[in-house]
Amino acid sequence: MQADKTLMISAKAFPWKRALHEWLSMDAPILIYMVKATIAGLIALWISMKLNLPDPRTAIFTVFIVMQPQSGLVFSKSYYRVVGTIVGVGISLILMGMFAQDPIWFIGFFALWIGICTAAGFKYRNFQSYGFVLAGYTLCIVALPVIETPLEVFDIAVSRFSEVVVGIMCATIISDIIFPRHLSDSLLTAERERFGNILSTLADPDSIFGTDEDAHAQTARFSSGVVGLHAIRINSAYESGADRKDRQHSQHLNHEYMNLSTTFHSLKNMIRLLEPNTSKEVTDTLINLYAPIASSLKRFSSTVFSADDLNRIIQELLEVKNTIISRVKREEERLQPLLDEDAYDAFIATSYLMIRLLNELHIHCVTYLSLLKHRLSGKTSNELNRVVRFSTHTDNVLVALAALRGSGVLLVTMGFWIATGWPYATFTITLAVVIGLLIGTLPSPLDAVINFFKGGVSAIILAAVYDFYIIPEFTSDLLTLSLVLAPVLALVAWWTTQPKWSGFALGFIFLFMYECALDPYFKIDPTLFLESSLAYLIGIIFAGAAYLLVNFWSCSLTQRRVAKILRRQIITLCEGQLTLQRSALESTGRDLIQQFSTQGRLNMRSSRLVFEWLLLTLEIGRAIVSIRRTLQRLHPQYRYESIDNGLKSIRVFFETPSEALRNALLNTLQNTLDDLRLSENGDSNRLQSLITEFALIRTVLLRVDSFPMITEDSCR
Amino acid sequence: MPLDITLFGIQMPTLLPIFAASAVLQILFDRVMSDTGFYNHVWHPGLFRTAVFICIFTIPSLFIYH
Repeated sequence: MQADKTLMISAKAFPWKRALHEWLSMDAPILIYMVKATIAGLIALWISMKLNLPDPRTAIFTVFIVMQPQSGLVFSKSYYRVVGTIVGVGISLILMGMFAQDPIWFIGFFALWIGICTAAGFKYRNFQSYGFVLAGYTLCIVALPVIETPLEVFDIAVSRFSEVVVGIMCATIISDIIFPRHLSDSLLTAERERFGNILSTLADPDSIFGTDEDAHAQTARFSSGVVGLHAIRINSAYESGADRKDRQHSQHLNHEYMNLSTTFHSLKNMIRLLEPNTSKEVTDTLINLYAPIASSLKRFSSTVFSADDLNRIIQELLEVKNTIISRVKREEERLQPLLDEDAYDAFIATSYLMIRLLNELHIHCVTYLSLLKHRLSGKTSNELNRVVRFSTHTDNVLVALAALRGSGVLLVTMGFWIATGWPYATFTITLAVVIGLLIGTLPSPLDAVINFFKGGVSAIILAAVYDFYIIPEFTSDLLTLSLVLAPVLALVAWWTTQPKWSGFALGFIFLFMYECALDPYFKIDPTLFLESSLAYLIGIIFAGAAYLLVNFWSCSLTQRRVAKILRRQIITLCEGQLTLQRSALESTGRDLIQQFSTQGRLNMRSSRLVFEWLLLTLEIGRAIVSIRRTLQRLHPQYRYESIDNGLKSIRVFFETPSEALRNALLNTLQNTLDDLRLSENGDSNRLQSLITEFALIRTVLLRVDSFPMITEDSCR
Repeated sequence: MPLDITLFGIQMPTLLPIFAASAVLQILFDRVMSDTGFYNHVWHPGLFRTAVFICIFTIPSLFIYH
């Protein structure tokens, strides 16, 4: 950090130094990556040609599929690629051994396996899904070429596997040895940036109390990134240097950040809902309460964070928290006679949220400080023993749809093969299945397939130039072949770093590697070249058609699914086991929304609506968990029937939300609150927290205008 | 040691099972070293890891081709 600072200062003095710094941080990594990918690819080609493997292109192709700028990503992708290939090879041996003579059973099991792989690839995250993709893909490249001569299956299985392993070894070793870039470093940077964001957002009272929408961009920034950072953390586990303590820290930071951002959004939402029909008294009091937090954060929000700074922030937060808690008590007493019951409840709920925000911020700072200390000196100040799990949720309907698409594409292309009897149709099958597996998880699959097609066509043109002119004309041995290939490999590596080129690059890699004459002994046949190119392109068209046809996933259907899942979550919280932690609730919800917003084609408006539903669910779900926990420890004397009634009517409302039930629920909650208030001085702390939670639920339900249920106009 | 061995009726070079075994050993070793914070004192962890793996893999291989 000190180095950063001096660099910034010197950058101001010398403009060319700033340019150099920018070049070093922006362009140099891409250049290094291009060099690394090219070297790895050429080494893989060289090794597999030296070892006389029959199909060196698989090795070089593997390198480009696995290669990523950061070595942690390469490791995890390689790991899953190896596992996927082993499983795929095993399955193809079994299938060929059992059903080689029986087309119907063979095709049936083939389709079943592809369906399973597509579904699992969709259900699992990160590169785990890639393992399933590979398990399906390997079946295609091992079983289909030898379908006429089943006895060769073992040879082809062994050679494909060896080529994949050669490719992976080259990619991982090169990426970890030559200018390694570690994910754990970028994780720390991301973490620091996020922390700065939190402080600057919270230091500005307008971001909470402001009513205008221009603050929306800032708060959207606040809420993003949980799922992404989680993915980085998982993949960085494969790098050296990231030890267990580091991982625990990141898990905790992520979890606390989720809590913090939920509280922040709830608070903001609550204040927005208060505005129109509550007396100005409440809002003014709240703004006054928040003022010391903002002013103390403002002094820190722009500085670079060292451990000392953090220590001071933590001290200040502690003081501010204590003063605010006592001030809230005083204000409550002052406001109680002035306000009607609803407004008073709202005040209790909102001030509770504010204190919770402060509390969570404090905890987050402490964990962050501990991470910094751990990074700097290897020592930790506090022990993080509790394991926080990030749980995910994938909607089964989406998974079933993906499986249907995968198997459907396979069956249709198999039908095409049988109907035409064209020997090259196996290429069509392979590519159609691969696209079905690989692109299914991308945000807009159809566009990606179109780009894939474009990339494929350009690759075929370039491959033709290489096959029929450059390679026969200019190459005589491996060295010259490498020299000739290097520019193309570097270009492909550059494309893969550009997000907007990703579909194109994928298509280019596939088709170029398969069409270019990279055999151990140069052999080229124009008929083979043209026919196989045609077969591949037809395969892409089939896959694109599948994405076009099996895609009845409209906006309103998405909303209906999300609403149903969220409501079901509240219902299980009301009656199920009490083992669910808040972290599980939060991470599941966020993962769900993330997935639906990439898959479900939501427009701006409806995705905001879905986010509001999520907040509502998280807030109410958390309150329910807290109430039930408190109930377990509450003195039986105070266990009123109305508390259970309250919980029960929440459940009933969320099973079938309607206006009548909502009114009934509000009345029941009012009764509960009245009962609790009558005996406030008994088991005071626990009763107090019950009152707060019920008041929170009631206020949210009273004021929120959108519930997780389908409305008429939200999709327009 | 023999050049080829037969596992489950499949004849393969002895290097292959050695490779698998040393990979497993390397993973365990790596886990221990990263948890004890050893890698913080190494200049180039990636290179170090690769070198360790090569050592683990080469020592038994030398016995075969000696």
